Formats: sequence, C-alpha cells, structure tokens
Amino acid sequence: MAQVALPVNHDTDAHAIEHDHHVPSAGVSNTKLAMWVFLSSDCLFFGAFITTYLLYRNRNLTGPTPRSLYNIPFTSVTSFILLMSSLTMVLALAAIQRGDHRRFRVWVLATATFGMLFIGGQVFEFTEFYRQGLSLRTNVSGSIFFVATGIHGLHVTIGIIWLLSLWGMSAQGKLGKENSEAVEISGLYWHFVDVVWIVIFAVVYLIPT
Amino acid sequence: MSETITAPATTGEIAPAEHHLLEGASDLEMLPGELHPHPSPFQYVMIAVVLCVITAAEVGAYYLDKSVSKGAITAILVFGAVAKFFIVTGWYMHLKTDAKIFRRFFILGVTGAFFLFTIVLLTLSGLADV
Repeated sequence: MAQVALPVNHDTDAHAIEHDHHVPSAGVSNTKLAMWVFLSSDCLFFGAFITTYLLYRNRNLTGPTPRSLYNIPFTSVTSFILLMSSLTMVLALAAIQRGDHRRFRVWVLATATFGMLFIGGQVFEFTEFYRQGLSLRTNVSGSIFFVATGIHGLHVTIGIIWLLSLWGMSAQGKLGKENSEAVEISGLYWHFVDVVWIVIFAVVYLIPT
Repeated sequence: MSETITAPATTGEIAPAEHHLLEGASDLEMLPGELHPHPSPFQYVMIAVVLCVITAAEVGAYYLDKSVSKGAITAILVFGAVAKFFIVTGWYMHLKTDAKIFRRFFILGVTGAFFLFTIVLLTLSGLADV
C-alpha cells in the first residue's frame, strides 16, 4: 500500500481526517463561515423592512391598518410553534452528531412540520386581513406589513424545503454522521429565521404605537 | 506542535500503526471551529422552557392594564426580544461555544444594521406623510 507523509496537528487535523473536512488556514469550516457572513448580511436585509414598517405604520391611514386587525392570541400561538421548531432543530442536530439517524429524521420532520404550521397560520392571517379590507394597495402601513412578514414567510418556506431535502437524503442513507455539518448549517439558517421572527413579533405586533 | 505520521495516499484505508490517533479523534464530538462541546439535549429543552417563559411574559405585557405607561410596556417587550435573540444565537446557534470568528461576523452585521437603521429612523421619522 502506497503511503505518504502528512504533517499532523493533533488539535485539529485528526478531526479533519475523521470527518473528512477540509480545514482552511482560519481553522474553521469555510461553508459555516460563509453561512454566518450570509446571516450577517441578512440582518441588514430584514432591518430595512422592519425600519420601513416603523417609519410608515402611522402614515397614510386610509382603510384598516394591520394593527387594528391583529389577532394577538393567534399570532402568539404561531410564534410559539416557530420557537419550538428551533428546539426540534437542535435536537435533530444532536441526533445526527450521535449517529442516531432515526431520531434525526423524527426531529427534522417535526421541525419542517412546525414550519408548515407557521406558514399555514400566516396564510390564514393574510387571508383574514384581505377579507377585512386590508390588501397590499390599501395603505402604506398594510403594504410594508405584507412585504416584511411575507419575505420572512418566504425564508421559512425555503427552510422547510431545505429540511425536507435533508430528511429525504437521510431516508435514502445519503446523510451520515460525517455530514452533520450540513445539518448544522441548515440549522443556523432555521434559527436565524426564528430570531428574525422574535424581533418582528415584538416590534411589529406587540410594541404599542 | 507538529509531527509526521504516515497515512494512506489514495485508498482511504488507515495504516495500523496510526489507528490510535484516528480513534482518539473520533471519540471527540467537536468539529473544526468548535471551541467547547455543544449543549446536551436536556440543556436544549431547558433553554426552550426559558424562551417560552419570556414569550409568555411578552404577550402578558401586551395585555397589561392601560394605566401602565406605553414606555414601560415597550421596555419589557424590547428586553424580552433582546434576551430571546441572545439566547437563540448563543446556545441554539452555538455562538457561545464555536470559534470567535463566527461571533465577530454576526456582531458586525447586527450592530451595523442597528446603527444604520437607527440613523435612518432618526433622520426620516420627522418627515411629513408621503
């Protein structure tokens, strides 16, 4: 068997051999770093929408405003569901890091299901608002409300598709313990979506004008 | 510290003499970039309980008696949101246990967004209706 000499740093390189990860000079995964850079930029993206809502929520108030139509108990339940999806996501990550694929699939499917319930709640809320006379064109306050929460819903939908893809890969045996970083990165995205909703729920729904 | 070992060039097999090194690595759960072990599933559940309590307090604050000032309600809601933000990013997103470079990048984005949009709000909030 042909062999080649390799320099080994016991702190990091042994891990790299075991998990087949390329360890760059920064000592961290490039993929994970890229996800954090993306999430950092997404803070500015969502910040722009939330700021615009704060600027326009009391202006041009023709017709009903989102605030007059909020169903806080209902939105609190959907917020709770999204918060719990973060718990199931970390439990899915912990399961795959242990090599427990059955539990990983259970938790990741639970996360996707919670996400779908949240999106279902958002669709219901949007429909109710529309029935009561608030649409994208009714007033500026309504426009920015639909755009800001809709963009967040789009992020959640992308996350659901991502999670279901991971579930499918795991079911086909294509997602092993050595690929746990892929799950961690999808988890970072999912938790960020949750964090954004934490801010939206407080600023857009709860804080009094 | 650096030393040299022999490893298979192309086959992916492990030379018997080096088994102890690779077995030692596989016993560790941490991946490159992780400074400390992640929380246990039980700790994750406890964190979720804390998040639920804070959310319940936020919703409760929304329904506080009208005699309570809006400033006090706003302060409670902002504090709750900030607390949940740091709990999720710190423990669920592992910023407390992972390499500091991730934290630095994220803090850069969060503080940048905060200052940028605070300036935007202060500048534009006085403008007349559009």
